[in-house]
Amino acid sequence: MSETLLQASGVGIEFGGLRALRGFDLEIRQGDLKGLIGPNGAGKTTAFNLLTGVYVPTQGEIRVCGERVNGRQPHQINHLGLARTFQNIRLFRALTALDNVRVACLSDERPLFSRARIDELRRRTGGRSSVASAMDALNNYVDWWRALLLTPGFQKEEAELTRRAEELLEVMGLSHRRDEEARNLPYGEQRRLEIARALGTRPRVLLLDEPAAGMNTREKADLMVLIRRLRDQFSLGLLVIEHDMKLVMGICEDITVLDHGVTIARGAPERVRQDPKVIEAYLGDSYLASHGMAVPTRTPTSETPSA
Amino acid sequence: MSDFAQHLINGIAAGTIYALVALGYTMVYGVLKLINFAHGDVMMVGTFLGYGVAQRLGPERQSTLWGVLLIFLAAMGACAVLGWFIERFAYRPLRDKPRLTALITAIGISFTLSYGFQLDFGPLPGAAPRAFPEIIPPTEWLIIGDRAVVIWNWQVISLLIAIALMVVLQWLVYRTRFGRAMRAVSFDHRTAALMGIPVDRIIAFTFMLGSALAAGAGILYAIKDTAIQPLMGLYIGLKAFVAAVIGGIGNVPGAVVGGLLLGLVEEFVVGYSSSSWRDAVAFGFLIVVLLVRPGGLFGRVAAEKV
Amino acid sequence: MTLGPRLRGVVPVVLAIAVLALAQLLFGHLPFFVYLASIVGVNVVLAVSLNIVNGMTGQFSIGHAGFMAVGAYTAGKMSLLIKDVAISGLPTAVSDQVQLVGTLLAGGVAAAICGFVVGLPSLRLRGDYLAIVTLGFGEIIRVVVQNLDVFGRALGLSGIPQTSSLFAVWFCVFLVILVARRIVGSTHGRSLWAIREDEVAAEAMGVDTTGYKVRAFVISSFFAGVAGGLFAHFVPIINPGSFTFVKSIEVVVMVVAGGLGSTTGAIVAAVFLTLLPEALRSLFLQLGGLDTGASLAQKVDQIRMPVYGILLVILMLVRPQGLFGTREIWDIVPRWWPRSRKGIT
Repeated sequence: MSETLLQASGVGIEFGGLRALRGFDLEIRQGDLKGLIGPNGAGKTTAFNLLTGVYVPTQGEIRVCGERVNGRQPHQINHLGLARTFQNIRLFRALTALDNVRVACLSDERPLFSRARIDELRRRTGGRSSVASAMDALNNYVDWWRALLLTPGFQKEEAELTRRAEELLEVMGLSHRRDEEARNLPYGEQRRLEIARALGTRPRVLLLDEPAAGMNTREKADLMVLIRRLRDQFSLGLLVIEHDMKLVMGICEDITVLDHGVTIARGAPERVRQDPKVIEAYLGDSYLASHGMAVPTRTPTSETPSA
Repeated sequence: MSDFAQHLINGIAAGTIYALVALGYTMVYGVLKLINFAHGDVMMVGTFLGYGVAQRLGPERQSTLWGVLLIFLAAMGACAVLGWFIERFAYRPLRDKPRLTALITAIGISFTLSYGFQLDFGPLPGAAPRAFPEIIPPTEWLIIGDRAVVIWNWQVISLLIAIALMVVLQWLVYRTRFGRAMRAVSFDHRTAALMGIPVDRIIAFTFMLGSALAAGAGILYAIKDTAIQPLMGLYIGLKAFVAAVIGGIGNVPGAVVGGLLLGLVEEFVVGYSSSSWRDAVAFGFLIVVLLVRPGGLFGRVAAEKV
Repeated sequence: MTLGPRLRGVVPVVLAIAVLALAQLLFGHLPFFVYLASIVGVNVVLAVSLNIVNGMTGQFSIGHAGFMAVGAYTAGKMSLLIKDVAISGLPTAVSDQVQLVGTLLAGGVAAAICGFVVGLPSLRLRGDYLAIVTLGFGEIIRVVVQNLDVFGRALGLSGIPQTSSLFAVWFCVFLVILVARRIVGSTHGRSLWAIREDEVAAEAMGVDTTGYKVRAFVISSFFAGVAGGLFAHFVPIINPGSFTFVKSIEVVVMVVAGGLGSTTGAIVAAVFLTLLPEALRSLFLQLGGLDTGASLAQKVDQIRMPVYGILLVILMLVRPQGLFGTREIWDIVPRWWPRSRKGIT
């Protein structure tokens, strides 16, 4: 039984009076390939932002690899094993493809105290160890001195980082773009670069936010194959937000459907596709009526249209 | 005790001036998300303009009701135009560029105005401080105890003018279509444009309004402090900006509260220690507030949509 | 010519020492030249160090003069205290230099500590706030210094031993450029740039953005302090008037005009913008003689500030990326020095 890498229980968030997400439950284990769908504004990206620490949940709990991460900084959550891509591509546009990935790879190297030791300390004290912070600070201090003095150890480390980044570029078929600035890459390659970058942080769970947006049919087919391959090659658990139904139904084993911040359905693709609540959310109840289907009784949803 | 009361009154007097200038900062930040560093210097220009008008009117006419009105309106009107000018030609072309660019431009304009006015040729006033004429001849209106607390006429008149201006602004922002449009633009100017709001015009108007208010504040300051010089805009502007941030930048009532608080704190600190620490008070106060409430007193730290 | 790993760190430093020692021997006895070169050098250190925060990390600090003041006063005060103490066993010249180094380090460290104290809370906040806080810090320093007897109040400190030299100033210039280059070339520098490009994405990729920003800020402040310390040792008096908000803006203009993020740009702009007013001033004095020349020279000083203002406005409208943009000299001029790949030192 593989461990639970990501777990959200009853997660919700309010922006002022606006309830953007409510009662969100999710579990990702290693090898999972799950989908998160819903009409525009349903709260999918909000959910991602909550999981990755960009927003702080006002209700519920999120655990990454068993550790509670409510209120932690996004980079700390990333170090625990959670990485993501963005709906609107957010590459480091002026940096080369290689540098984009190298920056992500950096988060792993530590000169004095190993990441594992610091994380262990943090785990034991519930995330508030000042000794761990001091060790972290010392690590950084030494790190920068080594960079300034150009010590052989540092040079070796830089070479290692470059090698790892190059490997990832190769996996994503971007080796030929190594020294190209990210903003000059064609759209499809930019999306792949974002994934390569996320992989650089050595995640255990990968959240992909609309990875197929703007792609043509051929590219989407390739993407489907790629996502499955990544899951196997890197032993990941994956959560994908997508609008393209074919893609979602094609690769996801389990789908959660959001509407107005509330989960309205969950399960295997076939079941979800035929769920009247889902159909209504996407196509409206007039569609249901005209196709002779009963309009499901609405469970009380959140008050206002969501973020 | 009487000391305390006197400080209180002085603090409020200074505070209302800060509040008026802070309102301009906060409104512009609200619609443009820009810290208009040049705002204080526009105030300075207004003050000098008022000075010029007062000189023209001569000592007799300048203290009549019409004279005073003319001075205020001339200064405020001219600054409104100046504000429009600056927005139109320096800020509007940069609206879609990163905010840093506009910030740098603002600093550039601030320097051009303040140090430009220090130059000695042509119509430029030069660096030496001038004495603003007493357009409201000072009379003591209220004496408490044995001159323990003195309230001057100009203090009361100043306060009333400031309050009047603030009330007008309040009405404008919350009770008119223009005000609604302004608030819409401050939330999301692209959506506001989609809703048919003439964003360019609203922003231009906001600038003009803020600049006019600043000019009014400048004249009030000149009445209070008499000495005016080209660099006054820098310092008052900075402190008023601090006041706006303390109240929560973008928040209109916050600017007023921030201004009053700053005036009071500054007055009390200086009153009970020494005036040479005056300039440090504003920033010290700011840092304390930001540490405790990063969004300012009334501000919300808005979560950024990712 | 590629150097082995052990040598790569050290060789540039050795080379620099040799070149600068030679320069010192050749030109070190020309007082005006040394003074000019020192002023230019100090401004280069200020501009390059500010570029680390404003350019590479994309933040907006406008209080650099405050850190310079901290360094100047710390180093100056220390020098005054130890000036009659000589280190036994060393000739006075050497002992002086050792003391200079000591005071410079003290100044730099003091400024760095201030940078940490100022940076840590404010770099957590939204970007605009750093501008206000750094501005405020500069002002607070000025007021503090102006009010304390130990720092000479408005009159400042005088009598600081003038132990600075061509070598000292330009070795510090070399150091700051070296630091900037090595940071940029490393993946840490790329992370700073990533923060400049997209802070949210950088956070999501595991970069401790606040930590990095603070570190950049501390390094930048350190060098501002060193610059201040140097300044204190070649001008006869230091007083609060040398470290005003105006000075901070001057440095900002240099960094922006040179190109935010370009070390080369910062250097070129600093040199140009320091030499130009000096040159004009000398020119007017030569041409006009004592009367009109002097007043014209004064005009240069007065007109400098509004010209900077207009320059900034025009620059932002016409060429916001500054002279060099984000490029360095070796991106433009073909290199005769074979480098392995872009992005690695």
